[in-house]
Amino acid sequence: MAKTVTLKISGAELTASEGTTILDLARDNGFFIPTLCHFKGLSAVGACRLCLVEIRGVPRLLAACATRVAEGMDISIDSSRLTKYRQMIVELLLAERNHVCAVCVANGHCELQSLAQRLGVTHTRYPYRYPRFKFDASHPRFNYDPNRCILCTRCLRACEEVEGARTWNVMGRGINSRLGCDLDQPWGRALSCTSCGKCVQVCPTGALSEKGCAVGERTVRQNVLPFLNMMRHSGR
Amino acid sequence: MKIHDLDGLHDARRTGMMKILPGKPRIGVGLGTCGIGNGARDVFDAIKDALKRCGVDAQLTKLGCFGFCAAEPLVNIHLPGFPLIVLGRVRPQDALAIVESIAAGQPPLDKAICRIDEWDHLTGHVMYGRGFADLPHWDEIAFFKGQKKIVLRNCGLINPEDIEEYIAVGGYHALYQAMQKPGVGEIIEEVKKSKLRGRGGAGYPTGVKWDLLRKAGSGLQDGQKYIICNADEGDPGAYMNRNEIESDPHMLIEGMLIGAFAMGASEGIVYLRAEYPLAVERLKHALAEARQFGLVGEHILGTDFNFDIKLVEGAGAFVCGEETAMIASLEGHAGRPRPRPPFPAQKGLWGMPTNINNVETWCNIPVIIERGGSWFAQTGTASSSGTKVFSLVGKVVNTGLVELPLGTQLKTMIYEIGQGGQGAPDGKRVKAVQSGGPSGGCIPASSFDVAIDYESLLQLGAIMGSGGMVVMDEDNCMVDVARYFLEFTHAESCGKCIPCRAGLDQALTLLNKISAGKASDADVELLEELVPMIREMSLCGLGQSAPNPVLTTLRHFRREYDEHLRAHRCRAGVCDSLFLSPCENSCPLHMRIPLFLELTRSGQIAQAAELIWLDNPLPGSTGRICQHPCESQCRRAHVDAPVNMREVHRFIADQVFAGALLGEIKARLARRRLPSSGKRVAIVGAGPSGLSAAFYLALFGHQVTVFEAREAAGGMLRYSLPQYRLPRAMLRQEIDVIESLGVAFRFGQKLGAGVSLDVLEADNDAVFLATGTWSAASAGVPGEESPGVWHAIDFLEQVARDQPTTIGKRVVVIGGGNAAVDSARTALRAGCAVTIAYRRERQDMPAIAEEVRDAEMEGVKLMFLVAPQRVVCDQRGRVTGIELMRTRLGDYTLDGRRRPVSTGDTFVVDCDNLILAIGERPDVEPLRRCGIHVRENGTAAADWVTYETNRQRVFAGGDLVTGASNVSSTMATGKDAARAIDAILCGEDRLAQVLGAFAVAQRVALEPEGGARNSSPELAVLQRRTSDAEVLLGLTPEMAHAESRRCLRCDVRDPAAAKG
Repeated sequence: MAKTVTLKISGAELTASEGTTILDLARDNGFFIPTLCHFKGLSAVGACRLCLVEIRGVPRLLAACATRVAEGMDISIDSSRLTKYRQMIVELLLAERNHVCAVCVANGHCELQSLAQRLGVTHTRYPYRYPRFKFDASHPRFNYDPNRCILCTRCLRACEEVEGARTWNVMGRGINSRLGCDLDQPWGRALSCTSCGKCVQVCPTGALSEKGCAVGERTVRQNVLPFLNMMRHSGR
Repeated sequence: MKIHDLDGLHDARRTGMMKILPGKPRIGVGLGTCGIGNGARDVFDAIKDALKRCGVDAQLTKLGCFGFCAAEPLVNIHLPGFPLIVLGRVRPQDALAIVESIAAGQPPLDKAICRIDEWDHLTGHVMYGRGFADLPHWDEIAFFKGQKKIVLRNCGLINPEDIEEYIAVGGYHALYQAMQKPGVGEIIEEVKKSKLRGRGGAGYPTGVKWDLLRKAGSGLQDGQKYIICNADEGDPGAYMNRNEIESDPHMLIEGMLIGAFAMGASEGIVYLRAEYPLAVERLKHALAEARQFGLVGEHILGTDFNFDIKLVEGAGAFVCGEETAMIASLEGHAGRPRPRPPFPAQKGLWGMPTNINNVETWCNIPVIIERGGSWFAQTGTASSSGTKVFSLVGKVVNTGLVELPLGTQLKTMIYEIGQGGQGAPDGKRVKAVQSGGPSGGCIPASSFDVAIDYESLLQLGAIMGSGGMVVMDEDNCMVDVARYFLEFTHAESCGKCIPCRAGLDQALTLLNKISAGKASDADVELLEELVPMIREMSLCGLGQSAPNPVLTTLRHFRREYDEHLRAHRCRAGVCDSLFLSPCENSCPLHMRIPLFLELTRSGQIAQAAELIWLDNPLPGSTGRICQHPCESQCRRAHVDAPVNMREVHRFIADQVFAGALLGEIKARLARRRLPSSGKRVAIVGAGPSGLSAAFYLALFGHQVTVFEAREAAGGMLRYSLPQYRLPRAMLRQEIDVIESLGVAFRFGQKLGAGVSLDVLEADNDAVFLATGTWSAASAGVPGEESPGVWHAIDFLEQVARDQPTTIGKRVVVIGGGNAAVDSARTALRAGCAVTIAYRRERQDMPAIAEEVRDAEMEGVKLMFLVAPQRVVCDQRGRVTGIELMRTRLGDYTLDGRRRPVSTGDTFVVDCDNLILAIGERPDVEPLRRCGIHVRENGTAAADWVTYETNRQRVFAGGDLVTGASNVSSTMATGKDAARAIDAILCGEDRLAQVLGAFAVAQRVALEPEGGARNSSPELAVLQRRTSDAEVLLGLTPEMAHAESRRCLRCDVRDPAAAKG
C-alpha cells in the first residue's frame, strides 16, 4: 500500500498516494491545468511546458505532468504569471506553423484551438512564420500534415510505447524539428508502420487524420489508449 | 610495468624525474591546439633538425600549453643548474639560433619572456636552478601576475604523452593515498571540506553530489553505477577543458579514479567533443598508458578495485552538455533533455545511478586529496573556494588561459592580466565582457569591480559558466552581441520544448529587426516580455539561460538598443544596414566620405564640393581641426595607414575658396533649398552648432535669424582657436556661404540680456539654443585666483581678439586637452618657454595626437604624471611658480585607466604665468531663469535624438547640452536638431530630400590603390615660432587625388562591383 501524502492545490487540502503526479491529482480533483503533450497512458515528457506550476519554496516552475506529489507541497496552478506564460506559449504555437482553423480537418475538435479559446488567446502578436512543409498523403488510410503539427510527440510515444512499432521519430532540431516516418520515408512507404492508427487517435491537432475527413469532421477516440494500457498491464 | 604498490610508484617517479631534469639541456615545445595553430609543430621540427645538424646533445620534448596564447608558440629551455626559460613567439627560423646558443651553454635570452627558478606542482616540486636575474620571474609578468595555478599546475611543463613525467611530479600518489584511507567516506569528507563546486557552471557542491551517488548505490542489486566526465565544451570562446585534457590528461584520469573509488562506480565515461581531435588523441594515449601501468582496468594498484574509462566522442550538439541530454546521447538517442527529477544520481545512464562532473571539477580532485580539503578551501572565498580557469579572449592584448583564485576582481583579469584597452596605438575602451558564453550574460565595464564568484556574477545576470570570458570594446555592438549569441542558442536548441524552440526563434526575429533599424518600441516591449518567459518555462539549462545575453544587454546597454530604434544608428559600426561605411558611421556629421572621395578621384570637384557642403557646412574648418574619428575606423589601416579623409575635404573646401567654384557652390546650394515654408526659426549662438543648424534650417526653406552675444560669428572657432590652426579669413568665407542661403545674423545679442526667450518664442515657430561652454572650470588649486594665472579660454580669446596679452617669459600650462595644447603653442609663438603639465600619461591626453607631436616639435616641454598642488606667489601675490606633485600609476579604475596616486614627492616649477586648461562649462543661469531644465552636471537637458527641451518648440544643442566636446560632434547636434525642428514644423523627415542622392561609380579595385598615405605639408618649425601663419599647408592636388584613390570603398555592397 503506497504511502499517503497531504498537500495543497490552489489552497485546497488534498491527500494522494505517493507516486501520483501533480497533474493527475489536480485533474482527479477537478482542477484545470492545461497540457498539450501529456496523454493519459503515455509517458510524461514535459515538453509543452503548459502544465508548469508554482510550488511554494521551490525557485523554479515545475511540470505538473512529470513532478510527483510530496508531503506538504503548496501548489499554485493558475497564478497570473502562469496564465500569462501559458497564453504566450499558445501564441508562439499559433505563429510557429500554419494553424488556419477555418480550413482544418480538426476545426472544432482541436485541443490547441480549444486551449486558445479557454486561455483567451484571440490573436498572436508574433509574425507568422509560414513554413511550407509538404503534405504527406502517401498512406492509404491516413494523412500527415506537418504544417499543423505542434511536436507534442504523442504519436511517437503511442507508436513506441503502446504499439511497439517506433515508426515515428523527431528529425532535425530546434525550429526545424519535424516528425518523420522510419528514415524520413513517406508514411505510405514506412515498413515499420502497422497502420494501427493509434497515432491519429492521440493527435491533438489536425496534423494526423483519417482520409476522407472534410473540414471540421475529424474526431478522435482518445480513451482508446488507457484501455489498451490496462489490458497490457493486466496481461503481464 | 604494472605498478602494484608505493614502491612501484616511487620507481616510476624516479624514472620520470630523470626525464624532466635529464642532466642535459631540455627543450620543450608547447604543442597544444593553439600552439600548433600558431606553427609550433614547424618549430618543433625545425629544432629537431637543428639539433641533428649541430650535433647538440639535448632532449627535445612535447609539452602541453602554458596558457599564454598571445605569445604562442612557446618554447621552454632548461640548461642544468639554470632556471627554466620560457620563450615566446618562436618561429621555425629561430630554431638554429636557439640550438646554437644552447650549444654555447647560454640560453637565447632575446626571445625569453620569463624564467622559472622552481615550480610547485602542488603534488610535487621541481627545482630548476638560479640565475638570469634580469629576466622577470614568471609570476612577475603582467599576464601571470595574480594567477594561481592549481588546475594548470602541470600544464606546459610536463610531456602530456608520458605518464612517467606525470608520476614524477606526484601524479597518482593521491589515488594511492585515497585508496589507503580507512573508508571511502573520508575521501568524500575531504571533497566536502574543500567546498569544491561544479566547474561546469552551475556550481553544485561536488562533495554533496558524490555523497548522493555513493548512497544511491546501496540498495541496488546489480550495483552498476557510472561516473561521467562532461567534456562537451561547446561555448564559443571557451577552450579551457580542451587545454586541460591536451596538456595534462592524467590529471583528469586520476580525478575520475578517485571519484570512482569513493562512489563505488565501476565504469567511467569521458564525453568529449569530436571537434577536439588532439584532446581525443592525447586522452586515448593517456588511457592506454594508465592501463599499461595498472592504474586503470582491473586490480588497480594491486588491489581489488576495478575501474575502466571509456571515451565517447560527442557529435557536436551544444545541448549534449546538459546532463540528461548527454545521457540520452550516450544511450544512442538524439541529444534531447528530459525533465528532472529524477536526477541522474537516482536514474541516469541506462537507468542506473550516475554522477556527471565537468573536466575541471575532476582535475581539482587529486590536489584536494594530496593536500587536503582545508588546504584547498584556503584559496578563493568562503562560498566559492579554489581557482577557476578562464579563457580570456576578445579585445585584450594578452589572450590566454587565466587561472585565478575565485573572488578576484574582474578588472584584475581584464585590465591587469589581459591589458584590455591597451592595444597600442589606438587602444579602444573596453565596454563589456561576456561571461559564460551564450548562456551567460554581459557585464558592463562599470561593474568590473565585481568579484568573480558564483553568486556575484549571478547578481549581475551573468553566470560563471564554464569560464569563457569574451572581452568587447567600442567596436562591438551590444545588440549584435545579443543577436549573435541568440543565433547560436537558436541553432542549438533541440526543439523539444516550445518556449525554447519557438520562443528563441521569435526573439531572434525581433533582434534581427532591431539590428536592421526597422523595429519600434513595441517590438522591444514584446522582446522584454518574451525572454523572461523563455527563461522560466524552458525544459533545460539551454533554454533557461539562452535569454541571458538579451536580458543583460537590455539591462546594461539600453541606450544602444534605443540608438538602433530611435536614431537608426549603430555606433559600433556592426549592424551594417544602418550605415554606408565605417568612416561615415563614425563621423558625427555622417559625411558620405566614400562618395566624395570617389567624386574627387574621378575629377568631379564641383559635385564633390556640393556633397561635402550638404553633409558638413564648415568643411574648411573641420578639415583643419576635426578629431577625425573616421581614421580610427578606416579599413585601409589594416593595409597600411588610414585614408587622410579630413585633409581631402579640406582640400576641396580650399579649392572652392581659392577660385571660381565659390559662386557655383553657392548657386548649387541655393538650388537645393526647399520652397519657402513661411516658418521662422531663431537660433541663439553663432558657434559651430548654431551655424550648422542655421544652414540646414535655411535649406529646409525656413527663415532663420541667428542671435550672437559677440560681435562676429564662429563661436569657439573664431574666439578660441588660434590662427595657426584655423585662419580667420577662411572661416569668414565659410560663414558667407551660410549667409548666402538667407540666414540673418544679429550680433551683440546675449540671451537674458539683449534678447529674451519669451520674445523669441513669440516671434518664431521654433527656437534653437546653442550658447556653448564659455565658463572655465575651476582646478581647485589653492591660489588659482592670483594675478598671472590665466584660464585657457580667456587667454585664447584675448589673443583671438588681437588684444595685447601681458605674458611673461616662462609659462606652465596645466591640462592635456586641445585647449591646453592650443594655449601652449600660442604662448610659444609669443616668445615664451612653455611647459605642459599633465596628470596622466601621453597616450591619455585628450588632445589630438598630431597637435601634441607638433607642440613638442616646436619646443613645448611636456611633463607627465604631475598633479598641481598650489600656486606659488611672491609677496605682492603674483604667481612665481607652481608646486607639482609627482604621481605614479596605481590601480586600474573601472574605465580601464590606471589611477594616478601621489608619491609625496613635490617640487616647484618657476613660471611667470600659469594657464589652467582644466575644462569649460556652459553658463546655464539664463536658461534656468527661462525655465529650461538643467542636468546635475550643469548642462542643459534636451532629448538626445531631437534636442527638444522641456519647453515645447525650444531646442538646445551643441556643447551647452553635451558639455565641452569637439567641432564635428557639436555641429552634429545642430544638424540633428534642425532635422527634428523641420520634422515638427513640416510634419515629415525631410533631411534625405535636402541631402540628395549622388550617383557615383560602384567600383572596387581588386588591389589597394593610391600608394602610401599623404599627409599635409607643414610650415617649417623655425618659421612657426615667430608667426601665427597656418601650420598645415594642405594637400596638393596630386596628393588629394592619390589620397582619394586610397579609399577601399567599404560603401560598395554589390559583390559584382569587385570584379572590375
